[in-house]
Amino acid sequence: MNNGSKLAIALVALLASSMAHAQRTPQASLDCKPGGAKFVYDCNVRLTRAGSPLANVEVSVGADMPSMPMAHNVKPAKAKPTEVPGEFQARLELEMHGEWALKLRVSGAVNDLLVLRYEFDEKGARPAQRPTRGAAIR
Amino acid sequence: MDDYALGVLTNIALFSFIALSAYLLLIAGEMSFGQQALFGVGAYAAGMLTAMFDWPLPLALVAAMLAGAAAQWLIALPTLRLRGLVFAMATLAAAEMLRIGFELLQWQRTVEGEPVGPDGTQGFRGIRWVFESGVEPAMFLALIALLLAATVVLFVWVERSKLGATLRAVGADDELAASLGIDVLRVKLGVAAAAGALAALGGALYAHHNTYIEPRNFDIMLGVHSLAYALIGGLGTAFGPILGVLLDIGLLEGSRVFSGYRMIVFGGLVALLLIVRPRGLLDERVVHALRRRTLKSS
Amino acid sequence: MLDLLQNSLDGLMTGASYALLALGFTLVFGVLRRMNLSYGPAIMVGCYAATWLSLNVAVGLFVLALVTLAGAILAGAYVERLCFAPHRTGSAVAAMVASFALWMQFEEAVTLALPKHLYAFPALYTGPPIAIGSLTLRVEALVTLAVAIAICAGLWALLYRTRFGIAVRALIDNPTAAQLAGIGAGRVFVGVFAIASAIGGATGFLIAATNEQVTPMLGMWATLKGLLAMMLGGLGSLPGAVLGGLALGLVEAHAQWFFGPQLRDLIAYLLLFVLLALQPGWITRWTTTRSAS
Repeated sequence: MNNGSKLAIALVALLASSMAHAQRTPQASLDCKPGGAKFVYDCNVRLTRAGSPLANVEVSVGADMPSMPMAHNVKPAKAKPTEVPGEFQARLELEMHGEWALKLRVSGAVNDLLVLRYEFDEKGARPAQRPTRGAAIR
Repeated sequence: MDDYALGVLTNIALFSFIALSAYLLLIAGEMSFGQQALFGVGAYAAGMLTAMFDWPLPLALVAAMLAGAAAQWLIALPTLRLRGLVFAMATLAAAEMLRIGFELLQWQRTVEGEPVGPDGTQGFRGIRWVFESGVEPAMFLALIALLLAATVVLFVWVERSKLGATLRAVGADDELAASLGIDVLRVKLGVAAAAGALAALGGALYAHHNTYIEPRNFDIMLGVHSLAYALIGGLGTAFGPILGVLLDIGLLEGSRVFSGYRMIVFGGLVALLLIVRPRGLLDERVVHALRRRTLKSS
Repeated sequence: MLDLLQNSLDGLMTGASYALLALGFTLVFGVLRRMNLSYGPAIMVGCYAATWLSLNVAVGLFVLALVTLAGAILAGAYVERLCFAPHRTGSAVAAMVASFALWMQFEEAVTLALPKHLYAFPALYTGPPIAIGSLTLRVEALVTLAVAIAICAGLWALLYRTRFGIAVRALIDNPTAAQLAGIGAGRVFVGVFAIASAIGGATGFLIAATNEQVTPMLGMWATLKGLLAMMLGGLGSLPGAVLGGLALGLVEAHAQWFFGPQLRDLIAYLLLFVLLALQPGWITRWTTTRSAS
C-alpha cells in the first residue's frame, strides 16, 4: 500500500482512539458535618451512575477554591467504603470556610473526576448557590 | 508518587506557564495585570474543542495557543504606545472584559445525550478528555512537565540569542532601542502574541487537569499572583518565575506547615525580601555573575 | 425622562464613594509616584475591625466609624512602613509588588478573624428614603455625598491654605526641585499616606453602613473601583479623581438600567480601555513621568 494510504489509516486510527467512548457520567452528592477540629469535616459521599449506586471504585476527595485556583493544596482524603454500596466516608481538612470546589477522583471500575461546589461553614456544607460575580460586593 | 504530591507538582507546573507569560512581557518592558484572561481563553478554547467537538488534546492545545496569541495581539494593538501603570490598567480592563465575556458565554451541545459546554457563571464542567483517553494523572503531569521543560529550553535559547538581547533592550529603554534601529512596535506585538500563547497553553492544560472551569478562576488574583511570582523570583532568567511559583505553592503551601496562614507568611516574606532584593531573587545581576563564574570555570 | 433623572441621581450618589476611593489612590500616586495595591484591603481591615466590635460589644455608629478609621489608618501605616518607606528612592515596581503581598496578608487575616462569607454591618440610617417629587433619594447616599464634599473641601483647604499643603503640591509638581528646596519628602509622604488612609477609612465605613454588610470581597472591589475612577478622571489629578468617580457612578447607573449588571461592568471597563487606547492628553500627562525604578 502506498504512503498516502498508510498515512490515512494512521490518522483515522489516531482520531478513533481519541474519540470519547460512550459513558454515562457518574453523579455524586455530599453530606458533611463538622468533624471536631476547625475546618475539618466528616463527609458522606454518595455515588451513583445511571441511577444505581456506584461501587467497586476508589474515591478520593480533594478541594480547591474557585477564586484562587491552583493556590490551595488541600490533601486529598481517601474515602472509605461504608456498608451501603455507593456510599463512602471521607474526612476533609480544609483551610478556611467559604466556597470550595470539591474534586472527587473516582478510580477502578469507572475512572473520572467530578467537581462539585459546596459552601462550607461551621455548621457543615451546602451545595453552593449560583456564583456571584467576582467584582461585586453584594 | 501519592496523589497529594502529584497535585502540588501539577499546580506548580500550571502556574509556571502563566508566570512565564507575565515574565516575558516584563523583560520586554510591559507590566501586565491581564494574563489571567489569556489563561482563561486557552482554558475555554481547548475545553470546548475537546469536550464539545471531540478534538484530540494535542490539536486543541495548538488551537488554544493560537487563540491566546490572537487575543493578546488584539489587546496589544491599541495599547502599544502605553507604558507603565497606564498600560497595566489597560490590560486589567481588557482582562476583566474577557472575564465578563466568559460569564456571558453560554453555549452547549448535546454530546451522548448530555449537554456539554460553557454555561455562563455556572461554569464549564465535563472537560474529560484526559479520563476518557485513559491518561493517568502521573502521565498527564509528565506531559505538562515536558511542555514546561520545552518552554524553558526555548526561553533559555532565546535569552542567549540576539532576539533576547533585542527584547531586553526594548524592555530597558525602548526609545534608545528604536534609535538603534529596532522595530519596537513589531517586537512588542511579537512578545504579546508569544505571551498570549504561553498563558493559553497553561490554561488549556489547567482545564483538562481540573475537568471544570468557571469565570471566577480567571480573576485578577490569578494575574497579579503570576506577576508577583515573576518579580519575586527575579527577572534575570526564565527560572526566576518558576522559582517564585515554587516558593509559594511548592514550599509554603506544599509543606503545609503554615496551613491557613500561608498567605500571611508568604506576603510578609515577599515584602521583606523585596526590601533587600528589589529586583527579585534571580535578578539580572545574580544571573550575570553566575554566568561569568561558569564561563571562568569552563 | 424620569428614569434618566433618577438613574443620574443614583449614579452621582454611588459616584461619591467612588470619588473618595479614587482620591485616596490619587493622593498616594500623585505624591509618592507609587501604586498602592493594598489601599482597598486596608480599608477592608478597618471595616472588619468595626464589624468584629459590633458583633461583640453594643456600640453606636460613631464609635464604629472611629474604629473603621483607626483600623484603616493603622493598616495603612503598616503598609507605608513595609512597602513604601524602604523603596522611596528605589524601585516603584518593588513597592507595588510589596503592596500586593500585603494585600494577600490582609485578606487572609480578615477571613481568619471573621470566616463567614458575609457579615451584617449596622445600618447608617433605617428610615425611608426621601421623596422629592417623583424622585427618591436614599438618606445614606446623601450622607455619603455630604461627607465627600466635606472631605474635598478639607483637602482643598489643606493643600492650598497650609504649609504642609504647599509641600505636597511642590512634591507633586516637581519632586527634585521640591527636595532641593529643602522639603522633607519623608515626612510629607507619611502624612499624605495617613490622610489617604483616613479618607479610605471614612469611605469604607460609609460603604459598609450603606450596604449593611461586609464581605471579604470588599478589598478587591474598592481597589478596582478606585483604580477605574482614578484612571477615568485622569491619572494623578485630584479634581480628576473626583470627576472620574462621579463619571463612573453615572456610567454604571445608566449602563445597568439599559443593559443589566453584567454588562454594566463590561461597559465601564470598555470605556476605560477605549480612553486609554485613544490617549487623550489628560491621561498621558503621567505616562511620561518616570518614577525611579
